[in-house]
Amino acid sequence: MPFGAPDFAADLARALDALGGIRVDIPVIQPAEPFLDMAGEDLRRRIFLTESETGESLCLRPEFTIPVCSAHIAENVATPRRYGYLGQVFRQRRDGANEFFQAGVEDLGEPDEAGADARALSEARALIAGFAPAANLSIILGDQAVFEAVVAGLGLPAGWQKRLIHAFGNEQALDAMIAKLANPEAAAVPDASVAGFLANGDVAGLEAHIEEVMQQTGYSTNASRSPAEIAARLISKQTLDATRLSTGSLDALKAFLALDVPLDRAAAALSEFARDAGLDISVAQQAFEARLDALKQRGEDLATIRWRAAFGRPLDYYTGMVFEISAGPDNLVLAGGGRYDRMMTLLGAEDPIPAVGFSLWLDRIETVRAGQ
Amino acid sequence: MTLTVALPSKGRMKDDAIAVFARAGLTVSAIGNDRSYRGRIDGIDDVEVAFLSASEIARELGAGAVDFGVTGEDLVREGLSRADERVEITARLGFGNADVVVAVPDIWKDVDSMADLGDVAADFRTRHGRRLTIATKYWRLTQNFFSTRHGIQLYRIVESLGATEGAPASGAADIIVDITSTGSTLTANHLRVLSDGVILKSEACLVRARTPEHSADPRVAALIDAVRSAS
Repeated sequence: MPFGAPDFAADLARALDALGGIRVDIPVIQPAEPFLDMAGEDLRRRIFLTESETGESLCLRPEFTIPVCSAHIAENVATPRRYGYLGQVFRQRRDGANEFFQAGVEDLGEPDEAGADARALSEARALIAGFAPAANLSIILGDQAVFEAVVAGLGLPAGWQKRLIHAFGNEQALDAMIAKLANPEAAAVPDASVAGFLANGDVAGLEAHIEEVMQQTGYSTNASRSPAEIAARLISKQTLDATRLSTGSLDALKAFLALDVPLDRAAAALSEFARDAGLDISVAQQAFEARLDALKQRGEDLATIRWRAAFGRPLDYYTGMVFEISAGPDNLVLAGGGRYDRMMTLLGAEDPIPAVGFSLWLDRIETVRAGQ
Repeated sequence: MTLTVALPSKGRMKDDAIAVFARAGLTVSAIGNDRSYRGRIDGIDDVEVAFLSASEIARELGAGAVDFGVTGEDLVREGLSRADERVEITARLGFGNADVVVAVPDIWKDVDSMADLGDVAADFRTRHGRRLTIATKYWRLTQNFFSTRHGIQLYRIVESLGATEGAPASGAADIIVDITSTGSTLTANHLRVLSDGVILKSEACLVRARTPEHSADPRVAALIDAVRSAS
């Protein structure tokens, strides 16, 4: 074990290996681009960045999932494949050390998604329970796919669906959008130069006009947004701004986001909601229930896990389940996990690869152990 | 203890700062010749004037190396993390006015507001295989405004240290965050400020480093009062 690892790290490494993953070594110094690209520019303040002699942006490994997935794609190996890792990560934190240990598992290409989801949550819980046996764990689960199905069922324009889905997990942004849907502001008056095309529904003319202006003003028509893209969004925006959600749909959306029940009652709560709201979300419901069954089969006590419908992560690569396990008086998050199918293609995989995993925060587990 | 006041070392900023001090009854004179980087305030002992570049003044204030400085609010907020804990803006001086703004190509007729820009940023990767890029030298202000104020995470900053307004047309970036006073440079480059795209209305300010010794020093309060009455 490297210097500074908690005393239970060696045992944890053995426990991880027993889960059947291939243990990977990831270099500490990583290209920064993939992290910034995936998590956004905000991460820049929270990682340790430097520059190589040739100007390449490098950082100290802030987490494992992205490099593990990148290595998998680069090696182009067969799936399903399971990886395990344990090592130091480096982040700028206001509280706590800037270097600490994480361990986790990534399951790539497992076609049984419900089973893989359940396995990730169940293994994370069992590992924590093993190393902090007296801790009173609280486990919370959310599902991006269920939220997306609800939003799709409300009959909103595609632009609004995208906005809401993008904001899922960011409560403040979501509330602001719901308020706007309840009470839309007057639509911005379209610019005089394009109002005529819009009034006549002249898409081709609008596109040609935009292209002409771009050429006259020295803007490339293919380096950034294209005339077709601008024209299409301009047309859809006319409906977007004026969209008002009916009271019924608005109440349904709010009722859904307020759902917060133990998992043993989640299936009933979800189907009751769908029935009351008159929404057909059966595909998402089936996947949700299949995961519940898989958790039960693994012997998880569903009454000890909470489903909170509004729980999500505002990052565009999460596609299904997300979960968090916390404990202690400060409710320290000891483990986080989720399904991130979209990340694999964002990182350059040619074919879609289902992906789910979890990560344990060893320093916090140590804190909880010490408090016992 | 000697109080150090940092003033801009050249150009309009320097002249305007010295003029405000003069109206406040504080005559600044250079030590040695006119090009000297050190000065004093006539009639007050133990006050030293240091002529520094405007961005250096922000940094020195943050480090507590000078007691007061005249510099743009944009440089203070961009240059210092948690600026309000480290320095205090004691007077707005009414010159050096400029806004830090988010500007997009004017031809993006579908983008009027930050909410529109959020939509475009969310979709950008799918459509173009890369994130939306912003050319700017204002990293901190951009990140705060986009992430904290508007919940927009998915974009990349392309550092630009000059001629930022040319970046969208040259293809170096999609949009910009830059400083503008009249807007004419933006218009000339076919850029448009978003309706809610003003990040900061900046002007030259008298800024005080939050140094504990200041509270017991009557010269500090006197200097602030004098400059406030003149601005």
